[in-house]
Amino acid sequence: MSYKSLLSAVLLPLILTGCAALPRDQVKFDQLSDCPKLTADKLVAVQNELGPMSETHTLACAVDFLRSSKDPTLRRSALGSRLCLNLAERETNQDRREKLAGEGVAFAGTAIASGGDGDGAVHYYLAANLGLAVREHLTLAMDNMKRLEGEMIKALALSPDIDDGGPLRLLGTLYIKAPEWPNGIGDRDKGFSLLQQAVKKFPNHPLNHLFYAEAILAIDDGGAAERAKAEFVLGEQLLAKGNWGYSKPSWEKEFDDLRDAIGVESVTSSHASMANTHK
Amino acid sequence: MKKTCFTLLAVLLAPIASIAAPDAPIVVCYPGGSVNAKDANAAMGSMLRVVERVGQWQAGSLNSVFTAKADECRKLMDDKNPKFAIASLGIFLEQRDRHHLVPVVQPTINGITTERYRVIVQKGKFNSLEELKGKTLGGTVLDAPGFIGKIVFAGKYHPESFFQLQASNQAIRALRSLDKGEIDAVILNEQQFNGLASLNLTNPIETLFTSEDIPLMGMVADGKNSTAEERTRLGNALAGMCTDAEGKKLCELFGVDSFALVNPATFEPMVKLWKKGK
Repeated sequence: MSYKSLLSAVLLPLILTGCAALPRDQVKFDQLSDCPKLTADKLVAVQNELGPMSETHTLACAVDFLRSSKDPTLRRSALGSRLCLNLAERETNQDRREKLAGEGVAFAGTAIASGGDGDGAVHYYLAANLGLAVREHLTLAMDNMKRLEGEMIKALALSPDIDDGGPLRLLGTLYIKAPEWPNGIGDRDKGFSLLQQAVKKFPNHPLNHLFYAEAILAIDDGGAAERAKAEFVLGEQLLAKGNWGYSKPSWEKEFDDLRDAIGVESVTSSHASMANTHK
Repeated sequence: MKKTCFTLLAVLLAPIASIAAPDAPIVVCYPGGSVNAKDANAAMGSMLRVVERVGQWQAGSLNSVFTAKADECRKLMDDKNPKFAIASLGIFLEQRDRHHLVPVVQPTINGITTERYRVIVQKGKFNSLEELKGKTLGGTVLDAPGFIGKIVFAGKYHPESFFQLQASNQAIRALRSLDKGEIDAVILNEQQFNGLASLNLTNPIETLFTSEDIPLMGMVADGKNSTAEERTRLGNALAGMCTDAEGKKLCELFGVDSFALVNPATFEPMVKLWKKGK
Protein backbone atom coordinates (compact mmCIF):
# COMPACT_ATOMS: atom_id res chain seq x y z
CA MET A 1 0.00 0.00 0.00
CA SER A 2 1.42 3.38 -0.92
CA TYR A 3 1.79 6.04 1.71
CA LYS A 4 -0.75 8.15 -0.07
CA SER A 5 -3.44 5.51 0.05
CA LEU A 6 -2.43 4.56 3.56
CA LEU A 7 -2.84 8.14 4.63
CA SER A 8 -6.24 8.26 3.04
CA ALA A 9 -7.23 5.15 4.87
CA VAL A 10 -5.86 6.56 8.10
CA LEU A 11 -7.55 9.90 7.84
CA LEU A 12 -10.90 8.83 6.46
CA PRO A 13 -12.30 7.29 9.63
CA LEU A 14 -11.11 10.23 11.67
CA ILE A 15 -12.85 12.63 9.36
CA LEU A 16 -15.95 10.54 9.12
CA THR A 17 -16.24 10.16 12.85
CA GLY A 18 -14.73 13.51 13.71
CA CYS A 19 -16.74 15.72 11.43
CA ALA A 20 -19.98 13.81 11.36
CA ALA A 21 -22.97 15.02 13.30
CA LEU A 22 -23.43 14.19 16.95
CA PRO A 23 -24.48 10.62 17.78
CA ARG A 24 -28.14 10.11 17.01
CA ASP A 25 -28.61 6.58 18.29
CA GLN A 26 -30.39 6.36 21.58
CA VAL A 27 -29.02 4.31 24.41
CA LYS A 28 -31.19 1.30 25.21
CA PHE A 29 -32.05 1.24 28.89
CA ASP A 30 -32.43 -1.98 30.85
CA GLN A 31 -35.43 -3.08 32.85
CA LEU A 32 -37.80 -0.46 31.57
CA SER A 33 -40.63 -2.85 32.32
CA ASP A 34 -39.93 -2.16 35.99
CA CYS A 35 -40.55 1.57 35.57
CA PRO A 36 -43.41 3.12 37.49
CA LYS A 37 -46.34 4.35 35.43
CA LEU A 38 -45.48 7.92 34.52
CA THR A 39 -47.64 10.72 33.20
CA ALA A 40 -46.62 14.18 32.07
CA ASP A 41 -48.25 15.74 35.11
CA LYS A 42 -46.48 13.36 37.49
CA LEU A 43 -43.13 14.02 35.86
CA VAL A 44 -43.61 17.77 35.92
CA ALA A 45 -44.49 17.50 39.60
CA VAL A 46 -41.37 15.58 40.54
CA GLN A 47 -38.90 17.06 38.05
CA ASN A 48 -36.95 19.00 40.65
CA GLU A 49 -36.40 15.84 42.66
CA LEU A 50 -34.68 14.16 39.72
CA GLY A 51 -30.96 14.73 39.49
CA PRO A 52 -27.55 13.58 40.67
CA MET A 53 -29.03 11.92 43.77
CA SER A 54 -31.55 9.87 41.82
CA GLU A 55 -31.03 6.23 41.01
CA THR A 56 -29.94 5.58 37.45
CA HIS A 57 -33.00 3.45 36.80
CA THR A 58 -35.29 6.28 37.94
CA LEU A 59 -33.63 8.70 35.52
CA ALA A 60 -33.73 6.16 32.71
CA CYS A 61 -37.46 5.67 33.23
CA ALA A 62 -38.00 9.43 33.06
CA VAL A 63 -35.90 9.81 29.90
CA ASP A 64 -37.70 6.90 28.29
CA PHE A 65 -41.01 8.58 29.00
CA LEU A 66 -39.76 11.90 27.65
CA ARG A 67 -38.63 10.29 24.40
CA SER A 68 -42.22 9.77 23.35
CA SER A 69 -43.92 12.55 25.27
CA LYS A 70 -45.78 15.19 23.29
CA ASP A 71 -46.56 17.25 26.37
CA PRO A 72 -45.77 20.87 25.48
CA THR A 73 -44.59 21.79 28.97
CA LEU A 74 -42.10 18.95 29.03
CA ARG A 75 -41.00 19.46 25.43
CA ARG A 76 -40.02 23.09 25.97
CA SER A 77 -38.33 22.41 29.31
CA ALA A 78 -34.70 21.59 30.05
CA LEU A 79 -35.70 18.41 31.88
CA GLY A 80 -34.82 15.87 29.17
CA SER A 81 -31.50 17.51 28.50
CA ARG A 82 -30.67 17.76 32.20
CA LEU A 83 -31.50 14.11 32.89
CA CYS A 84 -29.43 13.00 29.91
CA LEU A 85 -26.51 14.96 31.31
CA ASN A 86 -26.98 13.33 34.72
CA LEU A 87 -26.96 9.91 33.07
CA ALA A 88 -24.07 10.72 30.75
CA GLU A 89 -21.92 11.98 33.61
CA ARG A 90 -22.20 8.70 35.47
CA GLU A 91 -21.75 6.53 32.37
CA THR A 92 -18.28 4.98 32.14
CA ASN A 93 -18.66 3.61 28.62
CA GLN A 94 -17.61 6.36 26.20
CA ASP A 95 -19.95 5.32 23.41
CA ARG A 96 -23.00 5.25 25.68
CA ARG A 97 -21.90 8.48 27.36
CA GLU A 98 -21.67 10.29 24.05
CA LYS A 99 -25.00 8.92 22.90
CA LEU A 100 -26.67 10.13 26.08
CA ALA A 101 -25.02 13.54 25.73
CA GLY A 102 -26.06 13.67 22.08
CA GLU A 103 -29.62 12.92 23.09
CA GLY A 104 -29.37 15.68 25.68
CA VAL A 105 -28.44 18.10 22.90
CA ALA A 106 -31.41 16.86 20.89
CA PHE A 107 -33.80 17.32 23.83
CA ALA A 108 -32.54 20.89 24.25
CA GLY A 109 -32.94 21.52 20.52
CA THR A 110 -36.54 20.36 20.76
CA ALA A 111 -37.07 22.61 23.78
CA ILE A 112 -35.78 25.65 21.91
CA ALA A 113 -37.94 24.83 18.90
CA SER A 114 -40.94 24.41 21.21
CA GLY A 115 -40.67 27.84 22.82
CA GLY A 116 -37.98 27.26 25.43
CA ASP A 117 -35.47 29.65 23.90
CA GLY A 118 -35.84 32.09 26.78
CA ASP A 119 -34.97 29.47 29.37
CA GLY A 120 -31.32 29.69 30.36
CA ALA A 121 -31.38 26.12 31.67
CA VAL A 122 -32.15 24.83 28.17
CA HIS A 123 -29.08 26.57 26.76
CA TYR A 124 -26.95 25.54 29.72
CA TYR A 125 -27.76 21.85 29.48
CA LEU A 126 -27.45 21.98 25.72
CA ALA A 127 -23.94 23.34 26.07
CA ALA A 128 -22.98 20.93 28.85
CA ASN A 129 -24.19 17.93 26.84
CA LEU A 130 -22.57 19.20 23.67
CA GLY A 131 -19.26 19.63 25.45
CA LEU A 132 -19.46 16.12 26.81
CA ALA A 133 -20.35 14.68 23.41
CA VAL A 134 -17.44 16.29 21.56
CA ARG A 135 -14.66 16.45 24.12
CA GLU A 136 -12.92 13.27 22.91
CA HIS A 137 -13.18 14.22 19.21
CA LEU A 138 -10.85 16.93 18.00
CA THR A 139 -12.51 17.85 14.73
CA LEU A 140 -16.01 17.53 16.11
CA ALA A 141 -15.05 19.81 18.98
CA MET A 142 -13.55 22.34 16.57
CA ASP A 143 -16.67 22.23 14.42
CA ASN A 144 -18.88 22.92 17.43
CA MET A 145 -16.75 25.56 19.14
CA LYS A 146 -18.85 28.56 18.10
CA ARG A 147 -22.08 26.79 18.96
CA LEU A 148 -20.74 25.89 22.38
CA GLU A 149 -19.73 29.48 23.01
CA GLY A 150 -23.07 30.84 21.79
CA GLU A 151 -25.13 28.51 23.99
CA MET A 152 -22.99 29.24 27.03
CA ILE A 153 -23.25 32.97 26.50
CA LYS A 154 -27.04 32.69 26.31
CA ALA A 155 -27.12 30.55 29.45
CA LEU A 156 -24.95 33.04 31.28
CA ALA A 157 -27.17 35.94 30.25
CA LEU A 158 -30.42 34.18 31.14
CA SER A 159 -29.55 32.01 34.14
CA PRO A 160 -26.13 32.82 35.56
CA ASP A 161 -26.85 31.11 38.89
CA ILE A 162 -27.94 27.75 37.60
CA ASP A 163 -25.96 24.76 38.86
CA ASP A 164 -23.86 26.88 41.22
CA GLY A 165 -22.52 29.12 38.48
CA GLY A 166 -22.52 26.46 35.78
CA PRO A 167 -22.57 28.94 32.88
CA LEU A 168 -19.61 30.84 34.35
CA ARG A 169 -17.80 27.56 34.91
CA LEU A 170 -18.42 26.18 31.43
CA LEU A 171 -17.77 29.37 29.49
CA GLY A 172 -14.68 30.14 31.52
CA THR A 173 -13.29 26.69 30.90
CA LEU A 174 -14.10 26.90 27.20
CA TYR A 175 -12.06 30.10 26.89
CA ILE A 176 -9.19 28.46 28.78
CA LYS A 177 -9.18 25.30 26.65
CA ALA A 178 -10.09 26.51 23.16
CA PRO A 179 -7.47 27.38 20.54
CA GLU A 180 -6.48 30.97 21.07
CA TRP A 181 -6.68 34.06 18.93
CA PRO A 182 -6.11 34.41 16.05
CA ASN A 183 -7.06 30.79 15.29
CA GLY A 184 -9.83 30.29 17.76
CA ILE A 185 -12.08 31.72 20.44
CA GLY A 186 -9.71 30.85 23.29
CA ASP A 187 -8.93 33.76 25.59
CA ARG A 188 -7.33 32.80 28.87
CA ASP A 189 -7.67 36.20 30.49
CA LYS A 190 -11.39 36.13 29.80
CA GLY A 191 -11.65 32.54 30.99
CA PHE A 192 -9.73 33.32 34.16
CA SER A 193 -12.02 36.24 34.94
CA LEU A 194 -15.18 34.14 34.51
CA LEU A 195 -13.84 31.33 36.69
CA GLN A 196 -12.74 33.82 39.32
CA GLN A 197 -16.32 35.09 39.42
CA ALA A 198 -17.59 31.51 39.66
CA VAL A 199 -15.43 30.84 42.70
CA LYS A 200 -16.36 34.10 44.39
CA LYS A 201 -20.10 33.80 43.81
CA PHE A 202 -20.40 30.04 44.23
CA PRO A 203 -17.59 28.93 46.53
CA ASN A 204 -19.25 25.66 47.54
CA HIS A 205 -19.06 23.91 44.18
CA PRO A 206 -15.93 21.71 43.90
CA LEU A 207 -15.60 22.07 40.15
CA ASN A 208 -15.51 25.87 40.38
CA HIS A 209 -12.30 25.53 42.39
CA LEU A 210 -10.88 22.82 40.16
CA PHE A 211 -11.40 24.77 36.95
CA TYR A 212 -10.20 27.97 38.58
CA ALA A 213 -7.03 26.11 39.59
CA GLU A 214 -6.55 25.14 35.96
CA ALA A 215 -7.11 28.74 34.90
CA ILE A 216 -4.51 29.96 37.39
CA LEU A 217 -2.01 27.57 35.86
CA ALA A 218 -2.95 28.65 32.35
CA ILE A 219 -2.45 32.31 33.18
CA ASP A 220 0.70 31.66 35.20
CA ASP A 221 1.44 35.24 36.11
CA GLY A 222 3.62 34.44 39.09
CA GLY A 223 3.03 32.25 42.10
CA ALA A 224 0.66 30.19 40.03
CA ALA A 225 1.65 26.77 41.29
CA GLU A 226 0.90 27.46 44.94
CA ARG A 227 -2.33 29.34 44.25
CA ALA A 228 -3.53 26.61 41.91
CA LYS A 229 -2.67 23.96 44.45
CA ALA A 230 -4.63 25.77 47.16
CA GLU A 231 -7.72 26.00 44.94
CA PHE A 232 -7.38 22.37 43.95
CA VAL A 233 -7.13 21.22 47.55
CA LEU A 234 -10.11 23.35 48.57
CA GLY A 235 -12.19 21.92 45.74
CA GLU A 236 -11.19 18.39 46.59
CA GLN A 237 -12.13 18.92 50.22
CA LEU A 238 -15.56 20.18 49.18
CA LEU A 239 -15.98 17.16 46.97
CA ALA A 240 -14.98 14.77 49.73
CA LYS A 241 -17.21 16.33 52.37
CA GLY A 242 -20.30 17.11 50.32
CA ASN A 243 -23.09 14.85 49.18
CA TRP A 244 -22.76 15.06 45.42
CA GLY A 245 -24.59 11.85 44.65
CA TYR A 246 -23.77 10.10 41.43
CA SER A 247 -21.79 13.12 40.18
CA LYS A 248 -19.02 12.37 42.62
CA PRO A 249 -17.11 9.65 40.71
CA SER A 250 -16.94 11.63 37.48
CA TRP A 251 -15.86 14.76 39.35
CA GLU A 252 -13.21 12.78 41.18
CA LYS A 253 -11.91 11.75 37.78
CA GLU A 254 -11.80 15.41 36.72
CA PHE A 255 -9.67 16.12 39.79
CA ASP A 256 -7.43 13.15 39.08
CA ASP A 257 -6.93 14.33 35.50
CA LEU A 258 -5.43 17.58 36.77
CA ARG A 259 -3.65 16.15 39.79
CA ASP A 260 -0.23 15.69 38.19
CA ALA A 261 -0.21 19.13 36.59
CA ILE A 262 -1.09 20.69 39.94
CA GLY A 263 1.33 18.53 41.87
CA VAL A 264 -1.08 17.28 44.52
CA GLU A 265 -0.75 13.74 45.73
CA SER A 266 -3.89 11.64 45.60
CA VAL A 267 -5.55 10.80 48.88
CA THR A 268 -4.99 7.08 48.19
CA SER A 269 -1.31 7.44 47.42
CA SER A 270 -0.76 9.82 50.30
CA HIS A 271 -2.34 7.25 52.65
CA ALA A 272 -0.13 4.56 51.15
CA SER A 273 2.85 6.80 51.59
CA MET A 274 1.94 7.46 55.24
CA ALA A 275 1.46 3.75 55.84
CA ASN A 276 4.90 3.04 54.42
CA THR A 277 6.39 5.72 56.60
CA HIS A 278 4.90 4.16 59.71
CA LYS A 279 6.18 0.69 58.92
CA MET B 1 7.21 29.31 12.39
CA LYS B 2 3.99 30.90 13.43
CA LYS B 3 3.29 29.96 17.00
CA THR B 4 -0.43 29.34 16.92
CA CYS B 5 -0.31 27.68 13.59
CA PHE B 6 2.59 25.63 14.83
CA THR B 7 0.44 24.07 17.54
CA LEU B 8 -2.16 23.09 15.02
CA LEU B 9 0.48 21.70 12.73
CA ALA B 10 1.88 19.78 15.63
CA VAL B 11 -1.44 18.08 16.19
CA LEU B 12 -1.94 17.55 12.50
CA LEU B 13 1.46 16.13 11.78
CA ALA B 14 2.04 13.94 14.80
CA PRO B 15 0.19 10.83 13.63
CA ILE B 16 1.53 11.07 10.13
CA ALA B 17 5.06 11.04 11.35
CA SER B 18 4.33 8.02 13.43
CA ILE B 19 3.59 6.03 10.30
CA ALA B 20 7.17 6.40 9.20
CA ALA B 21 8.54 5.74 12.64
CA PRO B 22 6.09 3.64 14.61
CA ASP B 23 8.74 2.58 17.10
CA ALA B 24 9.95 6.08 17.99
CA PRO B 25 8.11 8.90 19.69
CA ILE B 26 7.75 12.09 17.74
CA VAL B 27 9.14 14.98 19.70
CA VAL B 28 6.85 17.96 19.41
CA CYS B 29 8.33 21.20 20.68
CA TYR B 30 6.21 24.29 21.13
CA PRO B 31 8.29 26.60 23.30
CA GLY B 32 6.45 29.61 24.64
CA GLY B 33 3.17 28.23 23.44
CA SER B 34 -0.13 28.47 25.18
CA VAL B 35 -1.14 24.84 24.91
CA ASN B 36 -0.68 22.71 27.97
CA ALA B 37 1.03 19.38 27.50
CA LYS B 38 -1.92 17.41 28.82
CA ASP B 39 -4.33 18.86 26.27
CA ALA B 40 -1.82 18.60 23.45
CA ASN B 41 -0.99 15.00 24.26
CA ALA B 42 -4.67 14.16 24.55
CA ALA B 43 -5.38 15.65 21.13
CA MET B 44 -2.45 13.89 19.56
CA GLY B 45 -3.26 10.68 21.38
CA SER B 46 -6.79 10.58 20.04
CA MET B 47 -5.46 10.96 16.52
CA LEU B 48 -2.75 8.36 17.06
CA ARG B 49 -5.33 5.85 18.20
CA VAL B 50 -7.08 6.19 14.87
CA VAL B 51 -3.80 5.75 13.05
CA GLU B 52 -3.11 2.59 15.03
CA ARG B 53 -6.53 1.12 14.39
CA VAL B 54 -6.56 1.76 10.66
CA GLY B 55 -2.87 1.06 10.19
CA GLN B 56 -3.33 -2.19 12.12
CA TRP B 57 -0.69 -1.37 14.66
CA GLN B 58 -1.10 -2.55 18.19
CA ALA B 59 -3.16 -0.09 20.22
CA GLY B 60 -0.91 2.26 22.11
CA SER B 61 2.18 1.43 20.08
CA LEU B 62 2.43 4.89 18.51
CA ASN B 63 3.21 7.88 20.59
CA SER B 64 4.46 11.41 20.65
CA VAL B 65 5.88 13.62 23.34
CA PHE B 66 4.97 17.25 23.60
CA THR B 67 6.49 20.14 25.44
CA ALA B 68 5.89 23.86 25.57
CA LYS B 69 9.17 24.50 27.35
CA ALA B 70 12.40 25.16 25.48
CA ASP B 71 14.59 23.47 28.09
CA GLU B 72 12.38 20.42 28.11
CA CYS B 73 12.50 20.32 24.33
CA ARG B 74 16.28 20.22 24.34
CA LYS B 75 16.22 17.46 26.93
CA LEU B 76 13.65 15.46 24.99
CA MET B 77 15.67 15.76 21.82
CA ASP B 78 18.72 14.47 23.71
CA ASP B 79 16.89 11.73 25.60
CA LYS B 80 14.60 10.42 22.89
CA ASN B 81 16.91 10.94 19.94
CA PRO B 82 13.86 11.07 17.66
CA LYS B 83 13.82 10.29 13.98
CA PHE B 84 11.33 13.07 13.41
CA ALA B 85 10.39 16.21 15.24
CA ILE B 86 7.92 18.98 14.79
CA ALA B 87 9.88 22.06 15.60
CA SER B 88 9.92 25.79 15.12
CA LEU B 89 12.52 27.35 12.87
CA GLY B 90 14.29 28.60 15.98
CA ILE B 91 14.54 25.11 17.46
CA PHE B 92 15.66 23.73 14.11
CA LEU B 93 18.48 26.26 13.86
CA GLU B 94 19.52 25.80 17.45
CA GLN B 95 19.48 21.98 17.40
CA ARG B 96 20.52 21.50 13.78
CA ASP B 97 24.13 20.53 14.33
CA ARG B 98 23.58 18.62 17.54
CA HIS B 99 20.88 16.38 16.06
CA HIS B 100 21.82 16.47 12.36
CA LEU B 101 18.46 17.99 11.58
CA VAL B 102 17.22 18.27 8.03
CA PRO B 103 13.92 19.84 6.97
CA VAL B 104 11.43 17.31 5.59
CA VAL B 105 8.27 19.17 4.68
CA GLN B 106 7.15 22.75 4.68
CA PRO B 107 3.57 24.00 4.91
CA THR B 108 1.95 26.54 2.65
CA ILE B 109 -0.40 28.87 4.47
CA ASN B 110 -2.52 31.46 2.69
CA GLY B 111 -0.64 30.69 -0.50
CA ILE B 112 2.85 31.33 0.80
CA THR B 113 5.64 29.33 2.43
CA THR B 114 7.18 32.28 4.23
CA GLU B 115 6.16 34.73 6.89
CA ARG B 116 7.21 38.10 8.14
CA TYR B 117 7.47 39.36 11.66
CA ARG B 118 6.38 42.86 12.54
CA VAL B 119 6.85 45.25 15.45
CA ILE B 120 3.76 47.34 16.04
CA VAL B 121 3.14 50.35 18.27
CA GLN B 122 0.29 52.73 19.04
CA LYS B 123 -0.01 55.07 16.09
CA GLY B 124 1.98 58.27 16.40
CA LYS B 125 3.94 57.31 19.51
CA PHE B 126 7.19 56.30 17.82
CA ASN B 127 8.68 57.02 14.44
CA SER B 128 11.30 54.30 14.09
CA LEU B 129 12.55 51.14 15.69
CA GLU B 130 15.56 53.05 17.02
CA GLU B 131 13.18 55.12 19.16
CA LEU B 132 12.16 51.91 20.90
CA LYS B 133 15.60 51.48 22.44
CA GLY B 134 15.12 50.77 26.14
CA LYS B 135 11.35 50.55 25.71
CA THR B 136 9.11 47.60 26.54
CA LEU B 137 8.48 45.02 23.84
CA GLY B 138 5.88 42.29 24.34
CA GLY B 139 4.84 39.25 22.35
CA THR B 140 4.70 35.49 22.30
CA VAL B 141 7.78 35.00 20.16
CA LEU B 142 10.15 36.51 22.68
CA ASP B 143 10.86 33.20 24.38
CA ALA B 144 13.43 32.68 21.63
CA PRO B 145 15.42 35.94 21.71
CA GLY B 146 18.27 34.31 19.79
CA PHE B 147 15.96 33.60 16.88
CA ILE B 148 14.45 37.08 17.02
CA GLY B 149 17.83 38.76 17.11
CA LYS B 150 19.68 36.67 14.53
CA ILE B 151 16.86 35.88 12.12
CA VAL B 152 14.00 38.34 12.53
CA PHE B 153 16.21 41.39 13.09
CA ALA B 154 18.96 39.82 10.91
CA GLY B 155 21.53 40.55 13.59
CA LYS B 156 20.88 44.30 13.63
CA TYR B 157 19.30 44.40 17.06
CA HIS B 158 19.94 42.26 20.07
CA PRO B 159 16.50 42.06 21.66
CA GLU B 160 17.66 41.38 25.19
CA SER B 161 19.86 44.46 25.34
CA PHE B 162 17.94 46.75 22.99
CA PHE B 163 14.47 46.35 24.49
CA GLN B 164 12.96 45.60 27.85
CA LEU B 165 11.42 42.27 26.94
CA GLN B 166 8.05 41.29 28.33
CA ALA B 167 7.46 37.81 26.97
CA SER B 168 3.93 36.53 27.11
CA ASN B 169 2.36 33.25 26.17
CA GLN B 170 -0.77 35.07 25.02
CA ALA B 171 -0.61 37.34 22.01
CA ILE B 172 -3.97 38.80 22.87
CA ARG B 173 -2.76 39.84 26.31
CA ALA B 174 0.29 41.58 24.87
CA LEU B 175 -1.95 43.46 22.43
CA ARG B 176 -4.33 44.51 25.19
CA SER B 177 -1.36 45.79 27.16
CA LEU B 178 -0.23 47.75 24.11
CA ASP B 179 -3.72 49.15 23.68
CA LYS B 180 -3.78 50.29 27.31
CA GLY B 181 -0.35 51.85 26.98
CA GLU B 182 1.14 49.43 29.51
CA ILE B 183 3.85 48.39 27.04
CA ASP B 184 5.36 50.28 24.13
CA ALA B 185 5.47 47.72 21.34
CA VAL B 186 4.51 44.18 20.40
CA ILE B 187 6.22 41.81 18.01
CA LEU B 188 3.85 39.66 15.98
CA ASN B 189 4.20 36.80 13.56
CA GLU B 190 2.35 36.80 10.25
CA GLN B 191 -0.71 34.99 11.50
CA GLN B 192 -1.08 37.27 14.51
CA PHE B 193 -0.58 40.35 12.38
CA ASN B 194 -3.23 39.20 9.90
CA GLY B 195 -5.63 38.58 12.78
CA LEU B 196 -5.41 42.13 14.13
CA ALA B 197 -8.52 43.21 12.24
CA SER B 198 -10.62 40.80 14.29
CA LEU B 199 -9.61 42.49 17.54
CA ASN B 200 -11.45 45.51 18.75
CA LEU B 201 -8.48 47.56 19.92
CA THR B 202 -9.36 51.03 21.12
CA ASN B 203 -6.31 52.79 19.73
CA PRO B 204 -5.04 52.61 16.15
CA ILE B 205 -1.72 50.88 15.66
CA GLU B 206 1.05 51.12 13.09
CA THR B 207 3.96 48.96 11.98
CA LEU B 208 7.47 50.18 12.79
CA PHE B 209 9.38 47.17 11.54
CA THR B 210 8.77 44.37 9.04
CA SER B 211 11.23 41.50 8.72
CA GLU B 212 12.40 39.90 5.52
CA ASP B 213 10.58 36.78 4.37
CA ILE B 214 11.34 33.89 6.72
CA PRO B 215 10.57 30.34 5.56
CA LEU B 216 7.92 28.39 7.44
CA MET B 217 9.13 25.26 9.14
CA GLY B 218 7.10 22.06 9.37
CA MET B 219 8.76 18.78 10.19
CA VAL B 220 12.42 17.97 10.55
CA ALA B 221 14.29 14.68 10.72
CA ASP B 222 17.52 13.50 12.24
CA GLY B 223 19.53 12.93 9.09
CA LYS B 224 21.62 10.22 10.71
CA ASN B 225 18.92 8.49 12.71
CA SER B 226 16.42 8.30 9.84
CA THR B 227 16.96 6.91 6.39
CA ALA B 228 16.59 8.89 3.18
CA GLU B 229 13.81 6.51 2.19
CA GLU B 230 11.86 7.18 5.38
CA ARG B 231 12.17 10.91 4.88
CA THR B 232 11.16 10.77 1.24
CA ARG B 233 8.22 8.48 1.81
CA LEU B 234 6.99 10.57 4.70
CA GLY B 235 7.50 13.75 2.73
CA ASN B 236 5.61 12.40 -0.25
CA ALA B 237 2.77 11.28 1.95
CA LEU B 238 2.46 14.70 3.50
CA ALA B 239 2.74 16.39 0.13
CA GLY B 240 -0.29 14.45 -1.09
CA MET B 241 -2.35 14.94 1.99
CA CYS B 242 -4.07 18.23 1.32
CA THR B 243 -5.03 17.31 -2.24
CA ASP B 244 -6.42 14.02 -1.07
CA ALA B 245 -10.20 14.18 -0.72
CA GLU B 246 -10.14 12.93 2.86
CA GLY B 247 -7.06 14.76 4.02
CA LYS B 248 -8.32 18.06 2.66
CA LYS B 249 -10.77 18.47 5.50
CA LEU B 250 -8.05 18.28 8.12
CA CYS B 251 -5.83 20.68 6.22
CA GLU B 252 -8.71 23.15 6.02
CA LEU B 253 -9.39 22.72 9.69
CA PHE B 254 -5.84 23.71 10.54
CA GLY B 255 -5.56 26.46 7.95
CA VAL B 256 -2.87 24.74 5.90
CA ASP B 257 -3.14 24.93 2.12
CA SER B 258 -0.67 22.14 1.49
CA PHE B 259 2.57 20.49 2.49
CA ALA B 260 5.51 20.16 0.16
CA LEU B 261 8.79 18.36 0.24
CA VAL B 262 11.30 21.01 1.02
CA ASN B 263 14.71 21.54 -0.50
CA PRO B 264 17.07 22.02 2.45
CA ALA B 265 18.64 24.86 0.46
CA THR B 266 15.52 26.87 1.26
CA PHE B 267 16.78 27.21 4.80
CA GLU B 268 20.43 27.87 3.95
CA PRO B 269 20.08 31.67 4.19
CA MET B 270 18.60 31.19 7.67
CA VAL B 271 21.43 28.87 8.67
CA LYS B 272 23.95 31.46 7.47
CA LEU B 273 22.22 34.24 9.38
CA TRP B 274 22.12 32.08 12.47
CA LYS B 275 25.81 31.25 12.27
CA LYS B 276 26.71 34.84 11.50
CA GLY B 277 24.94 35.92 14.66
CA LYS B 278 27.07 33.70 16.87
